[in-house]
Amino acid sequence: MIRAENIRKSYGTRDNRCEILKGISIDIEDGGFTVILGASGSGKSTLLNVLSGLERPDSGSIFYDGENIAELSDDSLTAFRRKNIGFIFQQYYLLPNLNVDRNVKMGAELAGNKDYADIINALGLSEKRRKLPRELSGGEQQRVSAARALAKKPSVLFLDEPTGALDEETGRSVLDYICRLRDELKFTVIMVTHNANIADMAKTVIKMNSGKIVGQYRNQTQKTAYEIGW
Amino acid sequence: MIIGAKDVCKLLGIVIISACAVFVSTLFLNYNLDLNGIEAQIADESRALYDALVMTGSVVSAVSGGCLLMTSVVMLCFYIKHYIDSHRKELGILKAMGYSNIRIAAGFWVFGLSVFAGTLAGFSGAYLIMPAFYSVQNESGLLPDFSAEFHPRLLILLVIAPTAAFALLSVIYSFFRMKTPVLDLLKGKPDSKSRDVAAKDNMPFLKELKKITLRGRRSLVFFIAFASFCYSAMVQMSFGMGDLASEMMSAMTFMIGVVLAFTTLFIAVTTVVRSNAGSVSIMKIFGYSGRECSSAILSGYRPAAAAGFVIGTLYQYLLLKIAVEVIFKDIENVPVFEFNVQALIIAAVSFAVVYEAVMLCYSRRIGKISVKEIMMEAE
Repeated sequence: MIRAENIRKSYGTRDNRCEILKGISIDIEDGGFTVILGASGSGKSTLLNVLSGLERPDSGSIFYDGENIAELSDDSLTAFRRKNIGFIFQQYYLLPNLNVDRNVKMGAELAGNKDYADIINALGLSEKRRKLPRELSGGEQQRVSAARALAKKPSVLFLDEPTGALDEETGRSVLDYICRLRDELKFTVIMVTHNANIADMAKTVIKMNSGKIVGQYRNQTQKTAYEIGW
Repeated sequence: MIIGAKDVCKLLGIVIISACAVFVSTLFLNYNLDLNGIEAQIADESRALYDALVMTGSVVSAVSGGCLLMTSVVMLCFYIKHYIDSHRKELGILKAMGYSNIRIAAGFWVFGLSVFAGTLAGFSGAYLIMPAFYSVQNESGLLPDFSAEFHPRLLILLVIAPTAAFALLSVIYSFFRMKTPVLDLLKGKPDSKSRDVAAKDNMPFLKELKKITLRGRRSLVFFIAFASFCYSAMVQMSFGMGDLASEMMSAMTFMIGVVLAFTTLFIAVTTVVRSNAGSVSIMKIFGYSGRECSSAILSGYRPAAAAGFVIGTLYQYLLLKIAVEVIFKDIENVPVFEFNVQALIIAAVSFAVVYEAVMLCYSRRIGKISVKEIMMEAE
């Protein structure tokens, strides 16, 4: 269980301070698929960064199975991410000078995963293993990003607008593979998106606006990546 | 105008190297010209000393000036490449708007100003120290007294010509670099000439990253080796000169070596860290520690530094050996030159300590790179 209690986060100096997260409290169940839905500027990416331990909140607590990661030192937070967290970002953030194989290996080695080639193959990248990111299309780069995150065998996978830069076909295939793997390995998925259609895939949907949670609901049935609208 | 004063300020390395090159060359060439002017007054018994001094001046100017000039050329090309790489989008927008390659490249002449600043500083510095240098050169009193004259042709040869040449080189080099397709510039794609580096499949990721980081930035490997070379050669030479030269010459050699070495080292390591900040940030997001990142990014340069040190040791030994056995062979009472083991130990230990201290500082800097660095870069 991930529990966030009264999370506040601001940016800027004293005169120019802007509060992005205004006292957010949420519970996220293990193994579930949660979507944080909101428009641009609603604070959803900041919430994802805070929940995943990329940033510390100004105040509030984030418990992972009872451990408050908001109190961890930088080194401990890094170790926490190493052990538990995987990321897929809209901009991919691949290492530009490393080929596909090595980008995935970067994640795999942290988990001692020597069979990461299976993930590369499953994501249709077997022919591209020796290609550098600049030699790939956007969709292929996002699949590499997904392979890297999944090869790390995370217990929680955070996705920040993962299909934002993808065409429909590629977007659906990436989401489908992540969901199939989640069903198999039972890791938790937390996805930030502005696309309300993707929320139909989630078990839990948290709506955000202006740094606050404005709604939360559960889908009775979860649609697949090929059933949702685009 | 797309190149600001801030960008030109980053060319400090070229300023310092060209200042050192012109400082040494001005001292010796000016001395040679003035010595030439009194050739008729040289007594027969002083002829050998005269010839030796003229040859020393020519060799020192050619070797140090030439070597440092080549380094400045490499450094200038490196800076321009770095500038274009870090301003790809802006340059791409200009190209997309219809500016021609030559029109954009013409703006790069400004980089030549760094050479102007350096050469002018070196030239002026040499004239300031010249009276003392002249009296030291003729300490034996075997030559007639003469004072330093100003030679305008040296100003043209050592300040104006290099500035014009480097400005032209900047334009030509940037013109060829600007041939990158406009879409590649706009998308911020890295140099299309970079290729995947082969490595063993079972090699650990961090070792692979270290190897690829080194291969991808060969110019930085050169600069780190050069820094070590400068320190090794100049420091050992300053100690090794001993009775062969004045204390002033030793001190000058020592100072130039230290300044050149550490300026080059700082610039190279700063560039290594800056150019890998995005990759470090991604690695940290996934849970690699600061220590793992800095080890992968920085530790690969040690062999280059060691190689530079060894080459510097051999270079200074051979140079002094040649000076004693060829240039000064006809001069009486020239002391015997032997390899100075003590100087080697002092130079090696001091360089190792400073090098590791610098690397430790930069490791800490890598440790402080934020996980959000890559997100800010993307924006």
